[in-house]
Amino acid sequence: MTAPTNQASSTHEAVSQRVPLWRDAVVVKWTAQVATLVLVLASLWFLATQAGDNLTARNINIGFDFLERPPDIQLSEGIDTHPATGGRALWVGMVNTLRMAIVGIVFATLLGVVVGLARLSNNWLIRRLATIWVETLRNIPLLVQIIFYFSVLAVLPRVDMDTGPINGWLHISNKGLAMPRVFIADGFYQWATVMLVGGLAAHYVRRRRVDLHNESGANTSPVLWSLGTLAVFGMVGLFIHPLFGFIEPIMGAVASLLDSLPILLPQVLLSATAVLLAGRWIREFLAGRRSAVGHLALSDDDYFRIIFTAIAALMAVTVAIYWTGLSSWILNSGSDLFRVIETKFNVDGAARPFDAMRPDIVKPGKFANYGINGLTMTVGFAAVFFGVVFYTSAFIGEIVRGGILAVPKGQTEAASAVGLHRSQSLRHIILPQAIRVILPPLGNQYLNLTKNTSLAIAVGYSDIVQVGQTVYNQTGKTLPVVAIWMLFYLATSLTISVVVNYYNVRMKLVER
Amino acid sequence: MTDVTDVTETETGTDSGGAARSGRDLSSAKDMIVCEGVSKWYGDFQALEGVSATIKEQEVVVVLGPSGSGKSTWIRCINRLEEHQEGLIVVDGVELSNDLRNIEKVRSEVGMVFQQFNLFPHLKVRDNVSLAPIWVRKKSKAEAEEQAQALLELVGIPEQADKFPGQLSGGQQQRVAIARALAMEPKIMLFDEPTSALDPEMIKEVLDVMKNLALSGMTMMVVTHEMGFAKEVADRIIFMEEGQIVEVGTPEHFFTNPTEDRTKLFLSQILA
Ligand SMILES: Nc1ncnc2c1ncn2[C@@H]1O[C@H](COP(=O)(O)OP(=O)(O)O)[C@@H](O)[C@H]1O
Ligand SMILES: [Mg+2]
Repeated sequence: MTAPTNQASSTHEAVSQRVPLWRDAVVVKWTAQVATLVLVLASLWFLATQAGDNLTARNINIGFDFLERPPDIQLSEGIDTHPATGGRALWVGMVNTLRMAIVGIVFATLLGVVVGLARLSNNWLIRRLATIWVETLRNIPLLVQIIFYFSVLAVLPRVDMDTGPINGWLHISNKGLAMPRVFIADGFYQWATVMLVGGLAAHYVRRRRVDLHNESGANTSPVLWSLGTLAVFGMVGLFIHPLFGFIEPIMGAVASLLDSLPILLPQVLLSATAVLLAGRWIREFLAGRRSAVGHLALSDDDYFRIIFTAIAALMAVTVAIYWTGLSSWILNSGSDLFRVIETKFNVDGAARPFDAMRPDIVKPGKFANYGINGLTMTVGFAAVFFGVVFYTSAFIGEIVRGGILAVPKGQTEAASAVGLHRSQSLRHIILPQAIRVILPPLGNQYLNLTKNTSLAIAVGYSDIVQVGQTVYNQTGKTLPVVAIWMLFYLATSLTISVVVNYYNVRMKLVER
Repeated sequence: MTDVTDVTETETGTDSGGAARSGRDLSSAKDMIVCEGVSKWYGDFQALEGVSATIKEQEVVVVLGPSGSGKSTWIRCINRLEEHQEGLIVVDGVELSNDLRNIEKVRSEVGMVFQQFNLFPHLKVRDNVSLAPIWVRKKSKAEAEEQAQALLELVGIPEQADKFPGQLSGGQQQRVAIARALAMEPKIMLFDEPTSALDPEMIKEVLDVMKNLALSGMTMMVVTHEMGFAKEVADRIIFMEEGQIVEVGTPEHFFTNPTEDRTKLFLSQILA
């Protein structure tokens, strides 16, 4: 760390007269950087050891062993209602939360855009209704709304052993809604292979149709054509998918190949990737700093960035070499993956890609309930779903309205003046500009919605918080569960932020 | 040969205080815009009070008047950016009424250039120009882009096609706006103070494009405070005040012996 300091200050000395060390900007900067780094690391270390000591002193066990132990939990719904371990139970909760968040985001966005456009409608009645919708929903606490929907739905008739409407294909009761479940069956992976080819074909067809339009100007409806191609492949795939059985041995061969590879290979590959990435980053960074004259004008901060990147690469290489477990894990998971794919293609020709099951009703104890055959939307899910979707739609509606109003009036006028219709102007001129204003706050709403799904605890929907609470009530492991909650929400929120930011950057207007 | 004659003519015109084109006889030309008793209110406030005027094919009319006199309102009524409440506006034989088909027809025949350019900032210059031909005229993309390139050449900025409006100077942006309007192959061009938002050194490049357009025979209605342009290019000048047409005449008449006192006052203020 000291070598570049001396070098940098000595070049300065050559041009100017000697400056005392504590006034030399270069020395001060480097010292500050290094000091900050040391301080941060030391604080983290201190906090960690302190917390560890305190917890041992109070006899609080922060171990995560409960993740592996069988819990005594029954979940109301999810991919697994009788999880074998605490970890599995939390995983089911996470999936339930993500399921709610994703479906909620999609529907809240659709509804929100409709509400926003309705708020700007020329039609007085529609405008009024939209205003009432927004003002009512955003002024009542979400928790109250969720409980309200829950109690309204609970008034529905009891579930009974009758077949229900449409020959038992649909049930609506105070337990929720049950529909036939369509699921992927043994033949799915062959069929998906056909669809993969179909996707490529559809892409090609679309390009051809677009080219044709550009040449002739005629309306060639490229989207319809590509969808049609995809549909044709989908239909044909239903019959020819067994042809793809030949993929099975190929996947098996790849898996065996991965098994036979030496551990050195991933080690070398990982190291090379780290070094290459760092090198490329540094090269691009230097290229970005090249001045017009051709030489590099690097500030001290730039040196820090380069040095830290190099250190990071070095650390990655060290890890790759000394932690052999990582490399063998990569090889093993790779071969496992291909083994799994191999078995997916190991089915006889009669297998169907999809299957459907009719909802069933079981009566394990005193009360009847939906069985596992159908696709059920429980009352709890519905209450949380309508809660977050309606609530968020009010905010998204306002954001959409604001975004559209933020587009200068001159844009609409210019669009009309060149002869565009209202809908054309909305599609080509207004919305593409409004989206830039809309995206950042929209991302915020997505984050809010995701976090708000934790209110599911009020109506017993098995989201991560509800499951986690049950787990720590049984095991007493409050801190570990809370840590898992925080990490989970942090990871989810960061993912959403990254996605929204990506689009945000792509949409930026070019100025100057 | 012809060049020399042109120059002499222009010079004589300037000397006499009139314009080179004011001698043109357009009385037998077709009526392009007919306004009869056009009135318009914003709430209680009457912005236009019975405006009547006829503009012939290939004619260039400059509209003058103090700020707030209703020039913009009138010109915007002609392509229905504003709706007039009384009177009659007929553009190339099509009456502007509530008939949506007529409004579409008129808008595709009338090009408009705004004071604030109003270019589409999210589209490249080329796409700004070719958007309407593609979506309204249903031209092929290749054809529309070829036309866009030709128009950008016409307004003198073919090399800017791949830039975004925000990367251009004001004068260049306004020339793109003119190209965008021309791309719809309009029969009439409306200009609402096209140079008022420009830095002085950029005004000329835009006025030159407009002059060439006038020389090519375009029917034009221009709201401007550029008296030089009015003198040199206009066939007629219309002077407005408080929503009414006060005086109409050739540039020669208008700048040398206006009849109305209000015109004289306005000219003394603006030429002072
Ligand atoms: N949208 C509007 N609402 C109310 N009054 C308006 C509106 N637009 C213009 N006006 C009024 O109408 C009059 C004429 O305006 P305008 O046509 O813009 O004048 P000019 O272009 O000659 O400066 C002005 O007094 C102005 O305040
Ligand atoms: Mg005006």
